[in-house]
Amino acid sequence: MTGTHGSIRLVEDRCTSCMICARECPVWCITVESHTEPDADQAGARRPRLHNVLDDFTIDWSVCMYCGICIDECPFDALEWAEGHVPAGPTPIALVHHRQELAPPTG
Amino acid sequence: MAPVTRVYDWYGDGRLLVADLGLACCTLEFEAATLGRPEVDPAVHLASSPAALAVVVSGTVPDALVPVVHQAVAALGRETGCTPAVVAYGACASSGGPYWDSYAVADGISQFLPVAAYVPGCPPPPGSLEDALAGLVGAPA
Repeated sequence: MTGTHGSIRLVEDRCTSCMICARECPVWCITVESHTEPDADQAGARRPRLHNVLDDFTIDWSVCMYCGICIDECPFDALEWAEGHVPAGPTPIALVHHRQELAPPTG
Repeated sequence: MAPVTRVYDWYGDGRLLVADLGLACCTLEFEAATLGRPEVDPAVHLASSPAALAVVVSGTVPDALVPVVHQAVAALGRETGCTPAVVAYGACASSGGPYWDSYAVADGISQFLPVAAYVPGCPPPPGSLEDALAGLVGAPA
């Protein structure tokens, strides 16, 4: 029954830190922290272009409704449904998962 | 007041008693998890054999029900003579869930009760309650 709607994972390579997921989340359970850096190939330009670099991305599973709106709204498919329900935690803070915990399993 | 209406012998071997404190929709998932489990009188049961006791709070806890939930858990402790481990089942009981910004809803039961385990979900599937309870008393045989 839990199927593929057990949790949500973040594919960082696709994330542009655009914040659409955090803004569209009806319960405000997503945070995105990022900063900007100049593009490397624009070093000599009069006005260097900047791009976002993701610093941290969190989902608070103690608040999340598993509605999937963040997944639907992400323009870059950086968020995906994943198998396996998020397990219970001993504190609410333990249910705030950061980018490492939200990353798809490697290998 | 008869605050806690149902207590289940969770594994059927007397190891773990689970009391139901259902307030809203997550309770449907809790009830799905209780299917086929025998109900017991906790005071009688605990007088004859020691067991762990958990109380699962499922559903939204509005401020108006905070004293009721608090008294229900205290009454269960008095009746049984042991302190129940409180499980916050679902987003509302854990943090207020979608109502965390409401003036009328508690931001999770940990505001007024010590909580042993927080089960995420809106609602959580019955299987994740199994895992949370197994984590409290050790994996079932």
